[in-house]
Amino acid sequence: MENVIEIKNLIKQYKEVRAVDDLSFEVHSGEILGLLGPNGSGKSTTMNCILSLLNYSNGVIKIFGKEMKPDSYDLKSKIGVVFQDVAVFDELTVYENIDYFCGLYIKDKEERKKYVEDAINLVGLGDFKKFYPKKLSGGLLRRLNIACGIAHKPKLIFLDEPTVAVDPQSRNNILDGIKKLRSEGATIVYTTHYMEEVEILCDRVIIIDNGKIIASGTIDQLKKLAKIEEKVSVEVNNLDVQHMEKIKEQENVDEVTYDGNVLLVTYKEGKNNLVDIIDYLKKESIKYNKIYSERPTLNDVFLELTGKELRD
Amino acid sequence: MFFHNFKYSLKTLFRSKSLVFWTLAFPIVLGTLFNMAFADIGNSEKLDVINIAVVNNDDFEKNDAFKAVFENLSDENNSERLFNTKYVTEDEAGNLLKNEEVIGYLKIDDNKPKVVFTTNGFDQTVFKYVVEEIEQTSDIVKNISENDIKEQMMSKNADIDYQKIYENALKMAQEDNVRLQDISNKNLNVVMIEFYTLIAMTCLYGGMLSITAINQSMANISNKGKRISVSPTKKSKIILSSLLASYVIQLLGLTLLFAYTTKVLNVDYGEKTGLVVLLAMVGSLAGLALGVAIGTLFKSSENAKTGILTGITMLGCFLSGMMGMTMKYVIDKSVPIVNKINPASMITDGFYSLYYYDTLDRYFFDLASLLVFAFILIVISFFSLRRQKYDSI
Repeated sequence: MENVIEIKNLIKQYKEVRAVDDLSFEVHSGEILGLLGPNGSGKSTTMNCILSLLNYSNGVIKIFGKEMKPDSYDLKSKIGVVFQDVAVFDELTVYENIDYFCGLYIKDKEERKKYVEDAINLVGLGDFKKFYPKKLSGGLLRRLNIACGIAHKPKLIFLDEPTVAVDPQSRNNILDGIKKLRSEGATIVYTTHYMEEVEILCDRVIIIDNGKIIASGTIDQLKKLAKIEEKVSVEVNNLDVQHMEKIKEQENVDEVTYDGNVLLVTYKEGKNNLVDIIDYLKKESIKYNKIYSERPTLNDVFLELTGKELRD
Repeated sequence: MFFHNFKYSLKTLFRSKSLVFWTLAFPIVLGTLFNMAFADIGNSEKLDVINIAVVNNDDFEKNDAFKAVFENLSDENNSERLFNTKYVTEDEAGNLLKNEEVIGYLKIDDNKPKVVFTTNGFDQTVFKYVVEEIEQTSDIVKNISENDIKEQMMSKNADIDYQKIYENALKMAQEDNVRLQDISNKNLNVVMIEFYTLIAMTCLYGGMLSITAINQSMANISNKGKRISVSPTKKSKIILSSLLASYVIQLLGLTLLFAYTTKVLNVDYGEKTGLVVLLAMVGSLAGLALGVAIGTLFKSSENAKTGILTGITMLGCFLSGMMGMTMKYVIDKSVPIVNKINPASMITDGFYSLYYYDTLDRYFFDLASLLVFAFILIVISFFSLRRQKYDSI
């Protein structure tokens, strides 16, 4: 598979702090690669180094087989970027903002007009063309931010936490838009700390912490890194410590915690666990409100590898 | 791409309410306030006669220059009369001053004039200024006379008419750049100085536009700058087209101000319209360069940068006479270097010299100073502007 991005031994040092620590990875053509990590893990710094906005201490960055430099205008014309912070002009309307940023890539007016309309439709801002950004909600503003970054139909798109602080409707719209971009042939690097989005969108994931890659692979490959296979949560009032100890003695149980009326039982293997716990609760006449089972998430993988939560 | 960015820069700058207020509306509002505040001075076109005393000792009697000038400026028949002068002894002068019948008195000892006041104020400043101008003129006269005499002696013309040489020299000096008669009328037109500083302020406030333009183009300053920096459009094109848009709006602001002040407020900027426009354009360039320098050299918010520019502009205008002409006079006399590097003073002085002097030497000196000022700031900013990668953003 053709590599759209190749990064070898990338290091970014800020005085005493090493923000990016010897990172090497590739992004394949047509895939959505997720860069997952907690805030401050080095995701955005890595992206800014790739885009030649930041100086880096060491490493080689190639995009479409060519070394990326600040004056690599031919490469830049194929790249679209959606930064974490909204970057639009308050004085321009939705249409004008998209037209302005698209115009930095596309000279031909007629072609640009079509591209701008396509971008507006993609993010669902058709009813807000003449609105100024200050009149848009947070979610709509994020959609405009995305449209400004991708209107010129780039082959490689960087999305840096595009769904931070947006409502569910806008989030779904944004995620659908990203899937559509991929279906049209774009390669996407998606930076986030929301593991749910990564699980929905990404073909491959690279988990970063303290500037280092701690794991990479497909979602299934990564989940195998977690030592648990199932989590069962039970909402129950006033559970005694003796019950917790008895539950822990059951087959496959890895850990038992009770916090805020929620009993959480993690299992090393994922067979018949729900039945076992329900039987125990019935036998001991313990009343419960809700009970549900989950497969391990990327957060569990992250917890397993680093000892901390993704959102810590 | 150049025109595309130019067009959208014009749109964003024009639609920014705060920028439109400070660069287009505020100078007009301030001009209106000046006009209201100084309406009486403007209408009278005359200053009140100032009561002074002169110690009528031997030294004064022997000093023809002082005698002639004070007689002339105190003549009741002179339409440009400036002083009501009492010629008295030193003791009487002291008493007159003590009783506040005069604002000060002049005493000449060993050809050295001394002005005595008990308080400071506009009248005192005028009195002191006149005395210093006479002293300066006397020195010029003396030098010219000496040279003339030397020339005549070299040509072995034995029949020297010292009186005629002195009179000619005095006339030459007065016609040249000293112009004592102006002191009584044109030179003290406070309203004109206010309007000159107002134009200077407008030119320098244009720096707000270039601060915005720079902020929007630099990746290490704004998110919009980051987005522009990752595009395939050259940074030089973006910055130049944005600055051109800023300059166009700045010139529009000045055009509005000139139109308003001349047509509505009836301010007379003289007959050299082309040179007035040229100075305003160069002054705007200096303002633009000041904004570029502040925009690139300070890594702070746009509001903070605008605050710095406003502070520099207001201080510059204050020192060049916006809040009272005395300040310009004091700075020119005591720390002249301050107004030599003060762009507001360069602009104000350029208009002043254009209006009051027949020659253009001083005008072109001010024009050249503004260009040098702008050039230095652009050179300083250049290294920041050409950077494409940053250590941190």
